[in-house]
Amino acid sequence: MIDALQAASNVNIGTKEVQKAGQSIGAGIAYGAAAIGPGVGIGIVVGNAITAMARQPESAGVARTTMFLGIAFTEALALIGFVVAILVLFVG
Amino acid sequence: MIPAVPHLVAGLDFPPIGELLNWKNIGPGGFNKTALIDVLAVALTLGLFFHAARRKAMVPRGTQNIAESLIEFVNGQIIMETMGADGLGYLPFILAIFCFVFLCNIFEIIPIFQFPADARMANPLVLALIVWGVYNYAGIKRQGFRAYVRNSTIPPGVPGFLVPLVAVIEGAQRFLLNPLTLAIRLFANMLAGHLLLVTFALMADALFFHNTVTATIPIGVLPVLMEIVIIIFEVLIAVLQAFIFAILTGVYLGPSLHPEH
Amino acid sequence: MLFAAGLVAATQKVDCSAAGISCQNAQSKNPILPTVPEIVWGTLAFVVLFVVLWKLALPPLVKLMRDRTERIANDLSSAEQARVEAQQTLEDYKRELAEARSEASHILDEARQAAEQVRQDLMARAEAEAAELRARNDSALQAAQERVLGELEGQVREVALDLAEKVVGANLDRDTNLALIDRFIDELNAGPTSDAGAALQ
Repeated sequence: MIDALQAASNVNIGTKEVQKAGQSIGAGIAYGAAAIGPGVGIGIVVGNAITAMARQPESAGVARTTMFLGIAFTEALALIGFVVAILVLFVG
Repeated sequence: MIPAVPHLVAGLDFPPIGELLNWKNIGPGGFNKTALIDVLAVALTLGLFFHAARRKAMVPRGTQNIAESLIEFVNGQIIMETMGADGLGYLPFILAIFCFVFLCNIFEIIPIFQFPADARMANPLVLALIVWGVYNYAGIKRQGFRAYVRNSTIPPGVPGFLVPLVAVIEGAQRFLLNPLTLAIRLFANMLAGHLLLVTFALMADALFFHNTVTATIPIGVLPVLMEIVIIIFEVLIAVLQAFIFAILTGVYLGPSLHPEH
Repeated sequence: MLFAAGLVAATQKVDCSAAGISCQNAQSKNPILPTVPEIVWGTLAFVVLFVVLWKLALPPLVKLMRDRTERIANDLSSAEQARVEAQQTLEDYKRELAEARSEASHILDEARQAAEQVRQDLMARAEAEAAELRARNDSALQAAQERVLGELEGQVREVALDLAEKVVGANLDRDTNLALIDRFIDELNAGPTSDAGAALQ
Protein backbone atom coordinates (compact mmCIF):
# COMPACT_ATOMS: atom_id res chain seq x y z
CA MET A 1 0.00 0.00 0.00
CA ILE A 2 2.85 2.27 0.83
CA ASP A 3 4.38 1.37 -2.50
CA ALA A 4 1.15 2.22 -4.23
CA LEU A 5 0.93 5.53 -2.41
CA GLN A 6 4.55 6.23 -3.24
CA ALA A 7 3.96 5.52 -6.84
CA ALA A 8 0.85 7.65 -6.96
CA SER A 9 2.27 10.64 -5.17
CA ASN A 10 5.70 10.43 -6.65
CA VAL A 11 7.18 11.18 -3.23
CA ASN A 12 9.50 9.14 -1.07
CA ILE A 13 7.51 7.89 1.94
CA GLY A 14 9.65 6.73 4.81
CA THR A 15 8.85 5.16 8.16
CA LYS A 16 8.53 8.57 9.73
CA GLU A 17 5.74 9.53 7.44
CA VAL A 18 4.02 6.21 8.02
CA GLN A 19 4.32 6.73 11.76
CA LYS A 20 2.87 10.21 11.39
CA ALA A 21 -0.03 8.87 9.39
CA GLY A 22 -0.68 6.18 11.99
CA GLN A 23 -0.52 8.73 14.77
CA SER A 24 -2.99 10.99 13.01
CA ILE A 25 -5.44 8.16 12.42
CA GLY A 26 -5.01 6.92 15.99
CA ALA A 27 -5.52 10.37 17.44
CA GLY A 28 -8.63 10.89 15.39
CA ILE A 29 -10.09 7.55 16.46
CA ALA A 30 -9.08 8.12 20.08
CA TYR A 31 -10.78 11.45 20.37
CA GLY A 32 -13.76 10.49 18.21
CA ALA A 33 -14.46 7.38 20.25
CA ALA A 34 -13.89 9.18 23.53
CA ALA A 35 -16.39 11.84 22.59
CA ILE A 36 -19.30 9.48 21.89
CA GLY A 37 -20.07 8.43 25.45
CA PRO A 38 -19.71 11.84 27.09
CA GLY A 39 -21.75 13.38 24.28
CA VAL A 40 -24.67 11.08 25.02
CA GLY A 41 -24.04 11.39 28.75
CA ILE A 42 -24.07 15.18 28.83
CA GLY A 43 -27.26 15.11 26.80
CA ILE A 44 -28.90 12.86 29.38
CA VAL A 45 -27.60 14.93 32.29
CA VAL A 46 -28.80 18.24 30.89
CA GLY A 47 -32.09 16.82 29.68
CA ASN A 48 -32.92 15.39 33.08
CA ALA A 49 -31.77 18.58 34.78
CA ILE A 50 -34.15 20.57 32.59
CA THR A 51 -36.97 18.15 33.40
CA ALA A 52 -36.21 18.59 37.08
CA MET A 53 -36.13 22.37 36.79
CA ALA A 54 -39.39 22.40 34.86
CA ARG A 55 -41.08 20.16 37.42
CA GLN A 56 -39.79 22.02 40.45
CA PRO A 57 -38.76 25.54 39.51
CA GLU A 58 -38.31 26.40 43.18
CA SER A 59 -35.35 24.00 43.44
CA ALA A 60 -33.84 25.05 40.08
CA GLY A 61 -30.71 26.33 41.81
CA VAL A 62 -29.83 22.96 43.27
CA ALA A 63 -30.63 21.24 39.99
CA ARG A 64 -28.38 23.65 38.10
CA THR A 65 -25.43 23.14 40.43
CA THR A 66 -25.84 19.40 40.28
CA MET A 67 -26.16 19.58 36.52
CA PHE A 68 -22.81 21.37 36.23
CA LEU A 69 -21.25 18.76 38.50
CA GLY A 70 -22.67 15.97 36.37
CA ILE A 71 -21.44 17.67 33.20
CA ALA A 72 -18.00 18.04 34.76
CA PHE A 73 -17.78 14.37 35.70
CA THR A 74 -19.06 13.21 32.32
CA GLU A 75 -16.97 15.64 30.34
CA ALA A 76 -13.80 14.47 32.09
CA LEU A 77 -13.88 11.29 30.00
CA ALA A 78 -14.00 13.23 26.74
CA LEU A 79 -11.19 15.44 27.94
CA ILE A 80 -9.06 12.46 28.87
CA GLY A 81 -9.71 11.23 25.33
CA PHE A 82 -8.58 14.61 24.04
CA VAL A 83 -5.40 14.44 26.06
CA VAL A 84 -4.72 10.91 24.88
CA ALA A 85 -5.25 12.05 21.28
CA ILE A 86 -2.72 14.83 21.74
CA LEU A 87 -0.30 12.43 23.36
CA VAL A 88 -0.68 10.01 20.50
CA LEU A 89 -0.36 12.73 17.92
CA PHE A 90 2.53 14.76 19.24
CA VAL A 91 4.46 12.68 21.72
CA GLY A 92 6.59 9.72 20.68
CA MET B 1 7.66 15.48 2.45
CA ILE B 2 4.07 15.01 1.55
CA PRO B 3 3.48 17.40 -1.26
CA ALA B 4 1.05 19.89 -1.99
CA VAL B 5 -2.40 18.65 -1.41
CA PRO B 6 -3.96 21.43 -3.41
CA HIS B 7 -5.50 23.02 -0.39
CA LEU B 8 -7.31 26.28 -0.32
CA VAL B 9 -5.17 27.94 2.28
CA ALA B 10 -1.76 27.33 0.92
CA GLY B 11 -0.20 29.80 3.29
CA LEU B 12 -1.45 28.19 6.51
CA ASP B 13 1.44 27.47 8.80
CA PHE B 14 0.21 25.54 11.78
CA PRO B 15 3.11 25.32 14.18
CA PRO B 16 3.89 22.17 16.17
CA ILE B 17 1.64 22.17 19.16
CA GLY B 18 4.53 22.30 21.61
CA GLU B 19 5.35 25.73 20.30
CA LEU B 20 1.90 27.06 21.13
CA LEU B 21 2.39 26.20 24.76
CA ASN B 22 6.05 26.47 25.64
CA TRP B 23 7.17 30.03 26.08
CA LYS B 24 10.69 31.32 26.17
CA ASN B 25 12.02 32.70 29.40
CA ILE B 26 11.53 36.40 29.96
CA GLY B 27 13.11 36.50 33.39
CA PRO B 28 15.33 34.60 35.77
CA GLY B 29 14.41 31.20 37.13
CA GLY B 30 12.45 30.05 34.12
CA PHE B 31 10.05 32.98 34.41
CA ASN B 32 8.02 32.70 31.23
CA LYS B 33 4.60 33.81 30.04
CA THR B 34 2.82 31.17 32.09
CA ALA B 35 4.57 32.31 35.25
CA LEU B 36 3.84 35.94 34.37
CA ILE B 37 0.16 35.14 34.06
CA ASP B 38 0.27 33.32 37.40
CA VAL B 39 1.83 36.35 39.06
CA LEU B 40 -0.64 38.70 37.40
CA ALA B 41 -3.55 36.57 38.55
CA VAL B 42 -2.27 36.71 42.11
CA ALA B 43 -1.67 40.46 41.90
CA LEU B 44 -5.12 41.15 40.44
CA THR B 45 -6.90 39.04 43.05
CA LEU B 46 -5.00 40.54 45.96
CA GLY B 47 -5.39 44.02 44.51
CA LEU B 48 -9.13 43.54 44.25
CA PHE B 49 -9.51 42.32 47.81
CA PHE B 50 -7.16 44.86 49.37
CA HIS B 51 -8.80 47.68 47.48
CA ALA B 52 -12.19 46.39 48.55
CA ALA B 53 -11.20 46.17 52.21
CA ARG B 54 -9.81 49.71 52.15
CA ARG B 55 -13.07 51.63 52.03
CA LYS B 56 -15.29 49.78 54.45
CA ALA B 57 -18.46 51.47 53.31
CA MET B 58 -21.72 50.29 54.76
CA VAL B 59 -23.23 50.25 51.28
CA PRO B 60 -20.73 48.45 49.03
CA ARG B 61 -19.77 50.00 45.71
CA GLY B 62 -17.17 49.26 43.03
CA THR B 63 -14.47 46.79 44.00
CA GLN B 64 -16.01 46.28 47.42
CA ASN B 65 -19.20 45.16 45.74
CA ILE B 66 -17.31 42.74 43.49
CA ALA B 67 -15.30 41.32 46.37
CA GLU B 68 -18.35 40.91 48.59
CA SER B 69 -20.33 39.31 45.77
CA LEU B 70 -17.48 36.85 45.30
CA ILE B 71 -17.44 36.02 48.98
CA GLU B 72 -21.22 35.62 49.03
CA PHE B 73 -21.07 33.46 45.92
CA VAL B 74 -18.38 31.16 47.30
CA ASN B 75 -20.14 30.92 50.66
CA GLY B 76 -23.62 30.40 49.28
CA GLN B 77 -23.20 28.56 46.01
CA ILE B 78 -20.13 26.45 46.70
CA ILE B 79 -19.50 25.91 50.40
CA MET B 80 -23.07 25.71 51.68
CA GLU B 81 -24.09 23.50 48.76
CA THR B 82 -21.30 20.98 49.20
CA MET B 83 -19.96 21.14 52.75
CA GLY B 84 -22.60 22.84 54.85
CA ALA B 85 -22.08 25.42 57.54
CA ASP B 86 -18.95 23.90 59.12
CA GLY B 87 -17.13 24.24 55.79
CA LEU B 88 -17.34 28.04 55.98
CA GLY B 89 -13.80 28.11 57.40
CA TYR B 90 -12.56 26.98 53.99
CA LEU B 91 -13.69 30.26 52.43
CA PRO B 92 -10.15 31.64 51.87
CA PHE B 93 -8.98 28.41 50.27
CA ILE B 94 -11.90 28.00 47.89
CA LEU B 95 -12.01 31.70 47.12
CA ALA B 96 -8.30 31.62 46.27
CA ILE B 97 -8.83 28.63 44.00
CA PHE B 98 -11.79 30.21 42.25
CA CYS B 99 -10.09 33.55 41.65
CA PHE B 100 -6.77 32.03 40.64
CA VAL B 101 -8.26 29.55 38.19
CA PHE B 102 -10.63 32.11 36.72
CA LEU B 103 -7.95 34.75 36.17
CA CYS B 104 -5.49 32.24 34.74
CA ASN B 105 -8.26 31.12 32.38
CA ILE B 106 -9.48 34.51 31.31
CA PHE B 107 -6.03 35.57 30.09
CA GLU B 108 -6.92 33.30 27.17
CA ILE B 109 -8.89 36.08 25.54
CA ILE B 110 -7.04 39.15 26.82
CA PRO B 111 -5.03 40.71 24.01
CA ILE B 112 -1.22 40.55 24.20
CA PHE B 113 -1.39 37.57 26.57
CA GLN B 114 -3.96 35.40 24.80
CA PHE B 115 -2.90 32.32 26.62
CA PRO B 116 -4.57 30.53 29.52
CA ALA B 117 -1.98 29.62 32.11
CA ASP B 118 -4.11 26.58 32.88
CA ALA B 119 -3.41 25.22 29.41
CA ARG B 120 -0.04 24.18 30.81
CA MET B 121 -0.32 21.12 32.99
CA ALA B 122 1.68 22.84 35.75
CA ASN B 123 -1.10 24.99 37.21
CA PRO B 124 -3.92 22.45 37.26
CA LEU B 125 -1.58 19.78 38.57
CA VAL B 126 -0.29 21.97 41.37
CA LEU B 127 -3.80 23.05 42.32
CA ALA B 128 -5.15 19.52 42.19
CA LEU B 129 -2.31 18.24 44.34
CA ILE B 130 -2.87 21.00 46.87
CA VAL B 131 -6.59 20.21 46.92
CA TRP B 132 -5.75 16.52 47.32
CA GLY B 133 -3.45 17.31 50.22
CA VAL B 134 -6.00 19.59 51.87
CA TYR B 135 -8.92 17.20 51.69
CA ASN B 136 -6.90 14.25 52.91
CA TYR B 137 -5.41 16.32 55.71
CA ALA B 138 -8.83 17.59 56.69
CA GLY B 139 -10.23 14.05 56.71
CA ILE B 140 -7.39 12.62 58.77
CA LYS B 141 -7.55 15.51 61.18
CA ARG B 142 -11.31 15.27 61.58
CA GLN B 143 -11.74 11.49 61.66
CA GLY B 144 -8.35 10.00 62.44
CA PHE B 145 -6.28 8.12 59.89
CA ARG B 146 -7.84 4.66 60.11
CA ALA B 147 -11.43 5.89 60.24
CA TYR B 148 -10.80 8.26 57.36
CA VAL B 149 -9.35 5.55 55.13
CA ARG B 150 -12.17 3.19 56.04
CA ASN B 151 -14.87 5.80 55.47
CA SER B 152 -13.50 6.85 52.14
CA THR B 153 -12.98 3.34 50.78
CA ILE B 154 -16.03 1.48 52.10
CA PRO B 155 -19.33 3.26 51.60
CA PRO B 156 -22.10 2.30 54.07
CA GLY B 157 -24.52 -0.43 53.07
CA VAL B 158 -22.28 -2.48 50.79
CA PRO B 159 -22.82 -6.25 51.03
CA GLY B 160 -19.85 -8.15 52.46
CA PHE B 161 -18.69 -10.03 49.39
CA LEU B 162 -18.48 -6.80 47.38
CA VAL B 163 -16.36 -4.96 49.94
CA PRO B 164 -12.92 -5.74 48.44
CA LEU B 165 -13.99 -4.72 44.95
CA VAL B 166 -15.78 -1.58 46.10
CA ALA B 167 -12.89 -0.66 48.37
CA VAL B 168 -10.43 -0.84 45.49
CA ILE B 169 -12.64 1.22 43.21
CA GLU B 170 -13.56 3.79 45.85
CA GLY B 171 -10.01 4.06 47.11
CA ALA B 172 -8.61 4.53 43.64
CA GLN B 173 -11.31 7.08 42.98
CA ARG B 174 -10.68 9.10 46.09
CA PHE B 175 -6.92 8.92 46.37
CA LEU B 176 -5.83 8.73 42.75
CA LEU B 177 -8.46 9.55 40.17
CA ASN B 178 -10.13 12.53 41.83
CA PRO B 179 -7.05 14.78 41.75
CA LEU B 180 -6.06 13.45 38.34
CA THR B 181 -9.42 14.13 36.71
CA LEU B 182 -9.60 17.44 38.53
CA ALA B 183 -6.32 18.50 36.94
CA ILE B 184 -6.97 17.00 33.52
CA ARG B 185 -10.46 18.47 33.24
CA LEU B 186 -9.19 21.99 33.69
CA PHE B 187 -6.05 21.50 31.67
CA ALA B 188 -7.75 19.82 28.71
CA ASN B 189 -10.60 22.31 28.62
CA MET B 190 -8.22 25.23 28.48
CA LEU B 191 -5.86 23.55 26.03
CA ALA B 192 -8.74 22.68 23.72
CA GLY B 193 -10.09 26.21 23.90
CA HIS B 194 -6.69 27.66 23.21
CA LEU B 195 -6.13 25.37 20.22
CA LEU B 196 -9.54 26.27 18.86
CA LEU B 197 -8.76 29.97 19.11
CA VAL B 198 -5.31 29.48 17.55
CA THR B 199 -6.70 27.41 14.72
CA PHE B 200 -9.24 29.96 13.63
CA ALA B 201 -6.87 32.86 14.15
CA LEU B 202 -4.26 31.17 11.97
CA MET B 203 -6.88 30.36 9.36
CA ALA B 204 -7.96 33.97 9.20
CA ASP B 205 -4.33 35.04 9.07
CA ALA B 206 -3.57 32.62 6.27
CA LEU B 207 -6.61 33.57 4.24
CA PHE B 208 -6.08 37.30 4.57
CA PHE B 209 -2.32 37.73 4.50
CA HIS B 210 -0.69 34.61 3.06
CA ASN B 211 -3.21 33.81 0.41
CA THR B 212 -1.91 33.12 -3.08
CA VAL B 213 -5.37 32.96 -4.60
CA THR B 214 -6.76 36.48 -4.52
CA ALA B 215 -10.36 35.42 -5.11
CA THR B 216 -10.48 33.47 -1.86
CA ILE B 217 -9.37 36.35 0.40
CA PRO B 218 -12.95 37.32 1.46
CA ILE B 219 -13.46 33.81 2.81
CA GLY B 220 -11.24 34.93 5.66
CA VAL B 221 -14.29 36.66 7.16
CA LEU B 222 -15.71 33.26 8.11
CA PRO B 223 -12.94 32.21 10.54
CA VAL B 224 -13.01 35.72 12.01
CA LEU B 225 -16.72 35.36 12.77
CA MET B 226 -16.08 31.91 14.17
CA GLU B 227 -13.28 33.32 16.30
CA ILE B 228 -15.68 35.86 17.82
CA VAL B 229 -18.18 33.14 18.65
CA ILE B 230 -15.45 31.03 20.20
CA ILE B 231 -14.15 33.94 22.25
CA ILE B 232 -17.58 34.43 23.77
CA PHE B 233 -17.82 30.69 24.35
CA GLU B 234 -14.40 30.66 25.99
CA VAL B 235 -15.41 33.37 28.45
CA LEU B 236 -18.22 31.09 29.52
CA ILE B 237 -15.83 28.14 29.71
CA ALA B 238 -13.36 30.15 31.80
CA VAL B 239 -16.01 30.99 34.37
CA LEU B 240 -17.54 27.55 34.31
CA GLN B 241 -14.24 25.71 34.74
CA ALA B 242 -13.26 27.94 37.66
CA PHE B 243 -16.67 27.28 39.22
CA ILE B 244 -16.40 23.55 38.62
CA PHE B 245 -12.89 23.37 40.01
CA ALA B 246 -13.98 25.23 43.13
CA ILE B 247 -17.18 23.27 43.63
CA LEU B 248 -15.38 19.96 43.09
CA THR B 249 -12.91 21.02 45.76
CA GLY B 250 -15.92 21.44 48.01
CA VAL B 251 -17.37 18.11 46.91
CA TYR B 252 -14.10 16.33 47.71
CA LEU B 253 -13.82 18.14 51.03
CA GLY B 254 -17.39 17.20 51.97
CA PRO B 255 -16.77 13.53 52.89
CA SER B 256 -13.69 14.58 54.85
CA LEU B 257 -15.89 16.70 57.10
CA HIS B 258 -18.99 14.51 57.14
CA PRO B 259 -17.98 10.85 56.93
CA GLU B 260 -21.58 9.54 56.89
CA HIS B 261 -22.27 10.45 53.29
CA MET C 1 -12.96 21.93 4.28
CA LEU C 2 -10.99 24.76 5.77
CA PHE C 3 -10.60 22.76 8.89
CA ALA C 4 -9.42 19.72 6.97
CA ALA C 5 -6.85 21.87 5.25
CA GLY C 6 -5.76 23.18 8.61
CA LEU C 7 -5.34 19.69 9.97
CA VAL C 8 -3.37 18.60 6.92
CA ALA C 9 -1.11 21.55 7.44
CA ALA C 10 -0.88 20.85 11.14
CA THR C 11 0.78 17.51 10.56
CA GLN C 12 3.53 19.03 8.54
CA LYS C 13 6.64 20.44 9.93
CA VAL C 14 6.72 24.15 9.37
CA ASP C 15 9.01 26.99 10.18
CA CYS C 16 8.39 28.71 13.42
CA SER C 17 7.42 32.17 12.33
CA ALA C 18 3.68 32.08 12.73
CA ALA C 19 2.06 34.38 15.24
CA GLY C 20 5.29 35.37 16.93
CA ILE C 21 5.67 32.08 18.71
CA SER C 22 8.85 31.17 20.44
CA CYS C 23 10.62 28.41 18.66
CA GLN C 24 13.58 27.16 20.55
CA ASN C 25 13.84 23.38 20.37
CA ALA C 26 10.22 23.22 19.33
CA GLN C 27 10.13 19.53 18.66
CA SER C 28 11.61 18.58 21.97
CA LYS C 29 8.88 20.37 23.88
CA ASN C 30 6.07 18.31 25.21
CA PRO C 31 2.56 19.76 24.99
CA ILE C 32 1.36 17.99 28.08
CA LEU C 33 4.09 17.53 30.64
CA PRO C 34 4.76 20.65 32.67
CA THR C 35 8.21 22.09 33.06
CA VAL C 36 9.77 22.39 36.49
CA PRO C 37 9.95 26.21 36.55
CA GLU C 38 6.26 26.42 35.73
CA ILE C 39 5.42 24.09 38.60
CA VAL C 40 7.56 26.15 40.95
CA TRP C 41 6.07 29.44 39.84
CA GLY C 42 2.55 28.07 39.93
CA THR C 43 2.97 26.67 43.43
CA LEU C 44 4.57 29.86 44.64
CA ALA C 45 1.86 32.02 43.12
CA PHE C 46 -0.99 30.02 44.55
CA VAL C 47 0.52 29.65 47.99
CA VAL C 48 1.23 33.37 48.19
CA LEU C 49 -2.29 34.15 47.01
CA PHE C 50 -3.88 31.78 49.50
CA VAL C 51 -1.82 32.84 52.50
CA VAL C 52 -2.17 36.57 51.89
CA LEU C 53 -5.87 36.22 51.18
CA TRP C 54 -6.33 34.10 54.29
CA LYS C 55 -4.29 36.14 56.72
CA LEU C 56 -4.48 39.70 55.45
CA ALA C 57 -7.03 40.48 52.78
CA LEU C 58 -10.12 38.58 53.82
CA PRO C 59 -10.46 39.08 57.59
CA PRO C 60 -11.39 42.78 57.46
CA LEU C 61 -13.85 42.18 54.64
CA VAL C 62 -15.46 39.20 56.33
CA LYS C 63 -15.63 41.12 59.59
CA LEU C 64 -17.22 44.05 57.80
CA MET C 65 -19.80 41.80 56.20
CA ARG C 66 -20.56 40.07 59.49
CA ASP C 67 -20.94 43.44 61.23
CA ARG C 68 -23.28 44.57 58.53
CA THR C 69 -25.32 41.40 58.78
CA GLU C 70 -25.58 41.86 62.53
CA ARG C 71 -26.49 45.50 62.17
CA ILE C 72 -29.15 44.74 59.62
CA ALA C 73 -30.49 41.98 61.85
CA ASN C 74 -30.56 44.41 64.77
CA ASP C 75 -32.24 47.05 62.66
CA LEU C 76 -34.78 44.56 61.51
CA SER C 77 -35.53 43.30 64.98
CA SER C 78 -35.81 46.81 66.39
CA ALA C 79 -38.05 47.76 63.49
CA GLU C 80 -40.15 44.72 64.24
CA GLN C 81 -40.26 45.73 67.88
CA ALA C 82 -41.27 49.27 66.96
CA ARG C 83 -43.94 47.87 64.69
CA VAL C 84 -45.30 45.68 67.46
CA GLU C 85 -45.28 48.62 69.84
CA ALA C 86 -47.08 50.81 67.32
CA GLN C 87 -49.61 48.06 66.81
CA GLN C 88 -50.07 47.83 70.57
CA THR C 89 -50.55 51.58 70.87
CA LEU C 90 -52.98 51.58 68.00
CA GLU C 91 -55.01 48.82 69.63
CA ASP C 92 -54.95 50.70 72.93
CA TYR C 93 -56.23 53.79 71.23
CA LYS C 94 -58.88 51.86 69.43
CA ARG C 95 -60.01 50.19 72.60
CA GLU C 96 -60.07 53.49 74.47
CA LEU C 97 -62.00 55.09 71.67
CA ALA C 98 -64.54 52.28 71.74
CA GLU C 99 -64.82 52.58 75.48
CA ALA C 100 -65.31 56.32 75.26
CA ARG C 101 -67.91 55.82 72.60
CA SER C 102 -69.87 53.29 74.63
CA GLU C 103 -69.51 55.52 77.68
CA ALA C 104 -70.91 58.43 75.75
CA SER C 105 -73.85 56.46 74.49
CA HIS C 106 -74.41 55.15 77.98
CA ILE C 107 -74.42 58.69 79.37
CA LEU C 108 -76.73 59.76 76.61
CA ASP C 109 -79.11 56.94 77.47
CA GLU C 110 -79.03 57.84 81.09
CA ALA C 111 -79.66 61.44 80.30
CA ARG C 112 -82.50 60.46 78.08
CA GLN C 113 -83.96 58.28 80.79
CA ALA C 114 -83.54 61.02 83.36
CA ALA C 115 -85.22 63.48 81.07
CA GLU C 116 -88.06 61.05 80.54
CA GLN C 117 -88.33 60.60 84.26
CA VAL C 118 -88.39 64.33 84.80
CA ARG C 119 -90.97 64.72 82.10
CA GLN C 120 -93.16 62.06 83.60
CA ASP C 121 -92.76 63.55 87.06
CA LEU C 122 -93.65 66.94 85.78
CA MET C 123 -96.63 65.56 83.95
CA ALA C 124 -97.79 63.71 87.02
CA ARG C 125 -97.36 66.72 89.21
CA ALA C 126 -99.13 68.93 86.75
CA GLU C 127 -101.97 66.50 86.50
CA ALA C 128 -102.18 66.22 90.24
CA GLU C 129 -102.16 69.96 90.59
CA ALA C 130 -104.75 70.23 87.92
CA ALA C 131 -106.89 67.65 89.67
CA GLU C 132 -106.46 69.41 93.01
CA LEU C 133 -107.27 72.69 91.40
CA ARG C 134 -110.30 71.22 89.82
CA ALA C 135 -111.34 69.68 93.12
CA ARG C 136 -110.79 72.98 94.92
CA ASN C 137 -112.75 74.78 92.27
CA ASP C 138 -115.55 72.32 92.62
CA SER C 139 -115.75 72.67 96.40
CA ALA C 140 -115.50 76.44 96.17
CA LEU C 141 -118.25 76.45 93.66
CA GLN C 142 -120.35 74.22 95.85
CA ALA C 143 -119.73 76.42 98.85
CA ALA C 144 -120.59 79.46 96.85
CA GLN C 145 -123.72 77.79 95.63
CA GLU C 146 -124.69 76.76 99.10
CA ARG C 147 -124.00 80.21 100.42
CA VAL C 148 -125.92 81.76 97.61
CA LEU C 149 -128.71 79.32 98.18
CA GLY C 150 -128.64 80.06 101.92
CA GLU C 151 -128.69 83.78 101.27
CA LEU C 152 -131.38 83.34 98.75
CA GLU C 153 -133.39 81.29 101.22
CA GLY C 154 -133.04 83.99 103.82
CA GLN C 155 -134.00 86.69 101.43
CA VAL C 156 -136.91 84.70 100.09
CA ARG C 157 -138.10 84.16 103.61
CA GLU C 158 -137.77 87.83 104.41
CA VAL C 159 -139.44 88.82 101.20
CA ALA C 160 -142.15 86.26 101.70
CA LEU C 161 -142.74 87.48 105.24
CA ASP C 162 -142.81 91.08 104.18
CA LEU C 163 -145.09 90.19 101.40
CA ALA C 164 -147.33 88.22 103.66
CA GLU C 165 -147.39 91.01 106.24
CA LYS C 166 -148.26 93.45 103.56
CA VAL C 167 -150.92 91.16 102.17
CA VAL C 168 -152.40 90.17 105.47
CA GLY C 169 -151.88 93.64 106.82
CA ALA C 170 -151.79 92.34 110.22
CA ASN C 171 -148.86 91.74 112.25
CA LEU C 172 -149.19 88.06 112.86
CA ASP C 173 -147.37 86.18 115.38
CA ARG C 174 -143.96 86.47 113.99
CA ASP C 175 -142.56 83.15 115.09
CA THR C 176 -145.55 81.25 113.90
CA ASN C 177 -145.34 82.94 110.59
CA LEU C 178 -141.68 82.24 110.18
CA ALA C 179 -142.23 78.58 110.87
CA LEU C 180 -144.98 78.57 108.33
CA ILE C 181 -142.71 80.16 105.74
CA ASP C 182 -139.92 77.74 106.44
CA ARG C 183 -142.30 74.91 105.75
CA PHE C 184 -143.35 76.57 102.57
CA ILE C 185 -139.78 77.00 101.47
CA ASP C 186 -139.02 73.43 102.29
CA GLU C 187 -141.92 72.36 100.17
CA LEU C 188 -140.71 74.66 97.52
CA ASN C 189 -137.28 73.10 97.60
CA ALA C 190 -138.60 69.58 97.59
CA GLY C 191 -141.09 70.20 94.81
CA PRO C 192 -139.80 69.19 91.46
CA THR C 193 -141.62 71.88 89.60
CA SER C 194 -140.58 74.63 91.92
CA ASP C 195 -139.64 77.74 89.93
CA ALA C 196 -137.35 79.09 92.61
CA GLY C 197 -135.43 75.79 92.91
CA ALA C 198 -135.07 75.53 89.10
CA ALA C 199 -133.80 79.08 88.82
CA LEU C 200 -131.25 78.55 91.53
CA GLN C 201 -129.82 75.43 90.01
